[in-house]
Amino acid sequence: MSGTDGLALATRGLRKRYGSRRALDGLDLSVPTGVVYGFLGPNGAGKTTTMRVLTGLIHADGGTVEVLGRPFRRGDRHRLFEVGALVESPTFYPYLSGRANLRELAASGAHVSSKRIDELLELVGLSDRAKDKVQDYSMGMKQRLGIGAALLSDPKLLLLDEPANGLDPAGIVAMRDTLRALAAQGKTVVVSSHLLGEVQVMADTVGIIAAGKLVREGPLRELLSMQRVVKVRVRPNLVDAAIKALASFAPAERLTETDRDEGWLAVRAEADCAEEVNQLLAGAGIFASGLESGSDLEMLFLELTGGQAVSGEGTFVGLDAANGSATVGKGTAA
Amino acid sequence: MRLFFSGLRKLARRPATWVTVGLLIGLLVLIIVAVGSGVNGRSLRNGGASGADPKLLVTFPGAYDRILQFITGLGGLFALIYGAAIAGSEWSWGTLKWAVARGESRVRYMLISYVTVAVMIAFGILLTFAAGVLAAIVGAHLANVSTSGLGDSATLRDLPQRLLKGWFAVVEEGALGFTIATLARSQLAGIGVGIAFYFGEGFASIFLPDIVKYLPFSVANASLVTGSSTAGVFAGGTSALPADQAQVLVVVWLVGALVLAALFSDRAEIAG
Repeated sequence: MSGTDGLALATRGLRKRYGSRRALDGLDLSVPTGVVYGFLGPNGAGKTTTMRVLTGLIHADGGTVEVLGRPFRRGDRHRLFEVGALVESPTFYPYLSGRANLRELAASGAHVSSKRIDELLELVGLSDRAKDKVQDYSMGMKQRLGIGAALLSDPKLLLLDEPANGLDPAGIVAMRDTLRALAAQGKTVVVSSHLLGEVQVMADTVGIIAAGKLVREGPLRELLSMQRVVKVRVRPNLVDAAIKALASFAPAERLTETDRDEGWLAVRAEADCAEEVNQLLAGAGIFASGLESGSDLEMLFLELTGGQAVSGEGTFVGLDAANGSATVGKGTAA
Repeated sequence: MRLFFSGLRKLARRPATWVTVGLLIGLLVLIIVAVGSGVNGRSLRNGGASGADPKLLVTFPGAYDRILQFITGLGGLFALIYGAAIAGSEWSWGTLKWAVARGESRVRYMLISYVTVAVMIAFGILLTFAAGVLAAIVGAHLANVSTSGLGDSATLRDLPQRLLKGWFAVVEEGALGFTIATLARSQLAGIGVGIAFYFGEGFASIFLPDIVKYLPFSVANASLVTGSSTAGVFAGGTSALPADQAQVLVVVWLVGALVLAALFSDRAEIAG
């Protein structure tokens, strides 16, 4: 595969259909070695399908995959000995303990020492409950056990599908620190997540997919530098007036109501323009009660994916508190 | 070998293993003790020539044969359910997904899983047989029947071979459940469809005996028929195949079922 030197994971033209639905439509991912890679996309964009292809659970209809610098085709299962994966919600033998589940899981694939199992139980904070049956575990505990299971063979490449699911805030922080530490050791971590804030804090590089295609990929810092945002909060009844006041500075496509009820507006700008926005509003007799300036992955994500539902997948429809009618989210352009 | 011993550990700790063997032993012991209590003092009808007298269940050496028939008959159905439960849970619980994502061969994983099931079936048959013999001794005392035939040398000499054949027949029936659940990718669906097939074949033998005698449960029962024993309810009645032919077909069904399960597992898309 050309142009994949130094990559821990690369896909080229990956295609997958489920009946008439195109789940992956020529996906090209390039995951550098030794980074935390945030894999983002709306529901049904193809994230989990990609994870399944990368772990050999399903087979792509076309395209190529390269794992740790070598082709990964049907039958190349040994390549997965160096890969750890948590795909969808982790499931285990409910009648076995956490430790026994890891032990039996370690019997498949690459060899794992029993010492490693103890270390992992310690790492994910399950040492005290290691002898309890998994059927008595909470969702967060199963998730932690799943992360431990993904780390069993000390993988060079770690694929995690929504790893923060069910974790409490302390657990999320610990997981984030662990993944960062693994990347610092030269391992590569691919995290598929819908928690944009979490990815923004954790990832070095992000890939955003929509409708089975990569729409943006690159170092997070670079992507965000192109996505400067000023968020301003005014009284909710003054939102329309504020939009009018900022019209000369920010045309409609650069102005977004992020939360009308709370009076939040976001202005996309090339450079820091918080002062200018504040001045314009004050000139129109509108005084901001909040002003934030920086970069926002959510804005970038919504812009690239269009904030739209994938065909056939649907999206969350909120109820408009004012009139009780159903409205699609508030992140739409003003 | 790691996978094999892991499979055995998983099955040994699995409640379904002990429930299945416990239920089989419980029913066998209950029947034998009930027969022992009920036939106290009564002599065998026609000297036991019909083979249908319940007292034969507590009369050695014939009791060995009756106990084995019970195990291979009802035990076959239990093995079918057990096999389906084991294969189906790998899909329902998503544990197969873990193994595949760790680079394990799907075919190897599924076949070794069934080998461990076959080992557990052997263990279950031996345990049930031992419990049945003990119960028959107790039943014989309750029925005031002599246990002098307990050490019948000819019967004891044949016993290992008959147990082996019985195990093989039950393993074939378990393999069918295993394969059905694999194709259904579900524990419940596998068990349900497996039971339907089992009884469906039994009923069909009334109307289509010449076809049903080649089907898996009929050949399993027919393969166990010896000069001293009678065919089970699903052996195809008067149309039952000779035991040696039935044994060949047992192998064909067993291998066929496992090949189908392995091929399907290898090709299947694992989701959920």
